[in-house]
Amino acid sequence: MIKLENTSFDCCIKCTVCTVYCPVARASASYPGPKYSGPDAERLRIKTPFLADQSLAYCNNCKRCETVCPSDVRITDFIYQAKSSRLTQKHRIRDFLLTRTDLTGQIATRVHALANRIMQMPATRLVLSVIFGISRKADFPRFDRSTFARSLHRQVTYQQTFPETVLYFHGCYVNYYDHALGNDVVFVLNALGIGVIAPPQKCCGVPLIASGNLKKVKKNGHYIVTKLLNAAGAGGRTIIFSSSSCILTVKHDYPGILQIDNSSVYHQLEFITAFIHKRFRQKGLPEMAGVNLTAAYHAPCHLERTGGVIHTVSALKSIPGLRLVLLHSECCGIAGTYGFKKEFNGIATDIGQGLFDQINNVKPDIVITDCETCKMQIQTHTPYPVMHPVSVIAMALRTASV
Amino acid sequence: MNSDATFEYDCIIIGGGLAGLTCGIKCQSEGLSCAIVSSGMSALHFSSGSIDLLGYLPDRKLVHHPFDTLPAFIDQHPEHPYAKCGPEAVSAALTFFQQTVACEGLRLYANIPANHFHVTALGTLKPTFYSQQTVFNQTIKTAFESRPSIIIGNIHGFKDFHPQLAAANLKKHPLFTKCAIDCALIDLPEACGAGDQTIQNMRSIDIARIVDNPRNLAMIASRIESFGRKADILAMPAFLGIDNHSQVISALSDKTGMTIYEVPTLPPSIPGMRLDNALKSRFAALGGVFIAGESVTAGRIQGNRVAYIHTRNQDTDIAARFYVLAGGSFFSRGLTSSAGHIKEPVFNLAVRPETITGEIAAPGFLDPASHGFMRTGVITTSDLNPLQQNGEPVTNLFCSGAVLADYNPVAEASGGGVAITTGYHAANRILNHDKT
Repeated sequence: MIKLENTSFDCCIKCTVCTVYCPVARASASYPGPKYSGPDAERLRIKTPFLADQSLAYCNNCKRCETVCPSDVRITDFIYQAKSSRLTQKHRIRDFLLTRTDLTGQIATRVHALANRIMQMPATRLVLSVIFGISRKADFPRFDRSTFARSLHRQVTYQQTFPETVLYFHGCYVNYYDHALGNDVVFVLNALGIGVIAPPQKCCGVPLIASGNLKKVKKNGHYIVTKLLNAAGAGGRTIIFSSSSCILTVKHDYPGILQIDNSSVYHQLEFITAFIHKRFRQKGLPEMAGVNLTAAYHAPCHLERTGGVIHTVSALKSIPGLRLVLLHSECCGIAGTYGFKKEFNGIATDIGQGLFDQINNVKPDIVITDCETCKMQIQTHTPYPVMHPVSVIAMALRTASV
Repeated sequence: MNSDATFEYDCIIIGGGLAGLTCGIKCQSEGLSCAIVSSGMSALHFSSGSIDLLGYLPDRKLVHHPFDTLPAFIDQHPEHPYAKCGPEAVSAALTFFQQTVACEGLRLYANIPANHFHVTALGTLKPTFYSQQTVFNQTIKTAFESRPSIIIGNIHGFKDFHPQLAAANLKKHPLFTKCAIDCALIDLPEACGAGDQTIQNMRSIDIARIVDNPRNLAMIASRIESFGRKADILAMPAFLGIDNHSQVISALSDKTGMTIYEVPTLPPSIPGMRLDNALKSRFAALGGVFIAGESVTAGRIQGNRVAYIHTRNQDTDIAARFYVLAGGSFFSRGLTSSAGHIKEPVFNLAVRPETITGEIAAPGFLDPASHGFMRTGVITTSDLNPLQQNGEPVTNLFCSGAVLADYNPVAEASGGGVAITTGYHAANRILNHDKT
């Protein structure tokens, strides 16, 4: 019996635009491209599941295919559903290590100094590479001390003194690796007169989707939607994200790839720069000091897919003294955990080369991007410091208030 | 959205194709700030990459001198977009367009003031106004006139072009009946950058990237020489490079001693992508903001003005002083159709015709009279302000490109010219508003 609920591949007119703009197909001849892996092969896989082949694993879920598709085909929905249900996982332990961010994060942040030292040891990287298939060339982020959730929880009474509060889905990156970014988010929102509360949360599941483990994501997804709904309450508080991939997953991939109903909170989910930009517009610009920096802005693929680039660019443009160079949109290659996988690290670097060249040509003071793994990739391959847009706004606000 | 002070953009353009980009570049170059909202790649990717102005009259009569023909054509078709803009605007817009892409290193050939005829993948000749220099130029024109010997080539395994088919059709044309037309295939070595991919899987874009790489130039030249034959002209599918195409082709011509030109083939169109790249680079260089992957789902008209638009992924509204609707026709979803009805989905503007009758489609798919639905679209004033359902024009909204009614881009061979002219004209109307 053929299930007919998802036949949006019928909208595909085989124009091949997706494959033209697919960064993986360009970098590696082993990937036949999104048209073949998605709508083309899906017709066959429905009837003949064994036609699913290993080339599906090459997709890095950057979603540039969907961004360029003139016919609005949800190409990666097909690819990831097929990858999950029809491919056998090859690197079980590696995928476990890369995708259970909450588990590794909760343990490692308790012993962060030791964990960081172990992770940076050449011997560790050799073992990870040889036995588990985690690339030695990819830079691991350093664990922070304790978790961001705990530190924000300590301020909960203070945060509730604000006339208005929002919920902050900080995600694993801020929680375990980059409290500074989380603090910048809180600082900027506080400066705008808004308190910040962290609702109970788990990993959104973007690394799990990449590894084809949709079962575990569904579990996390249902947990997240329920907790967010409870926390948002009757007032329907806004739920802010600072990671462009987390919001893409919760807002877009839950109903798409995972068929998790998120309609109860859908309209409250908002990316941080969109929220800030709208505030700037409604309430006027806060006082910001001139930053006197030349910044190259890299739009993450996932933010582009959700149409959020306009807000980041507009918000950045309102920072005095910031000379913004908008880079031609290209994938940086890392695509979350993709570049950490040994078999794909070379492809990830090849994909990003165009972007690295662009950045090196601009010779900026800083690079700005909204995505944590884009940041890691750019820092690994160029000499420039990389900042989240909110951190740049926080810098301008802090200098003004001194 | 209370006062003009909250508008961040002077102009928001819905649609990032030929019309929208031309309009955005013109506005931006005159100091207005523009954002283009684009949902997926534009029809340029499916076009020949040549710009048609006016190739045929409604009676299928061929147009040789479009600017001589335009005044009478406009008189007979007062609702045609060219009539609304006027012949001066057509000429100014096309010149502006040529200069714009030239800034980005893309050179267009025009047989001014006449049309020229570029060779299609089927070996037919099609009237057009601008072609990329690698598709048609003065050397080709002169060579064509002197009964040249021609080789129509391809790369072995590239399935989107068939030299024998092109040759057979070309020989039927009076200009070429006495020419020696030959076909040849080149084998590309697997090591030329194709990695472990077989050449058989390759699309035009893959080959274009191989050809674009300067390291492969000598190899490709030697493969062409391995034909063992020479001709005055070598025609190849339009995949001879993207970013470096003009250098590549002149270098190949020098090395092989043949005049090489490109024949546009099936999508994805490399010449179309070159135009797309050039226009987007120009727009970005002027400071314009291009938002890809977003679609405008609704627009609110209050009184006779657009108050704001709503996009798929944002839960708030975006406002500007002016708006341009350049969302294309049915394929780009700038127009939608349902049982019996045609609709403009963003603003629900008045369209012509509203209901689908028997005349909407011709009996044959490739009917010479073309299809009625090609002429459907929104109705506008001479300033390109669209009419609402109540017949009132929207004063801060301008329409351009394939969303417009009353012209047939295919039958007239006028699609590119209308997109550029109306995009340019809309920009001038906006600039004019600002002055008054």
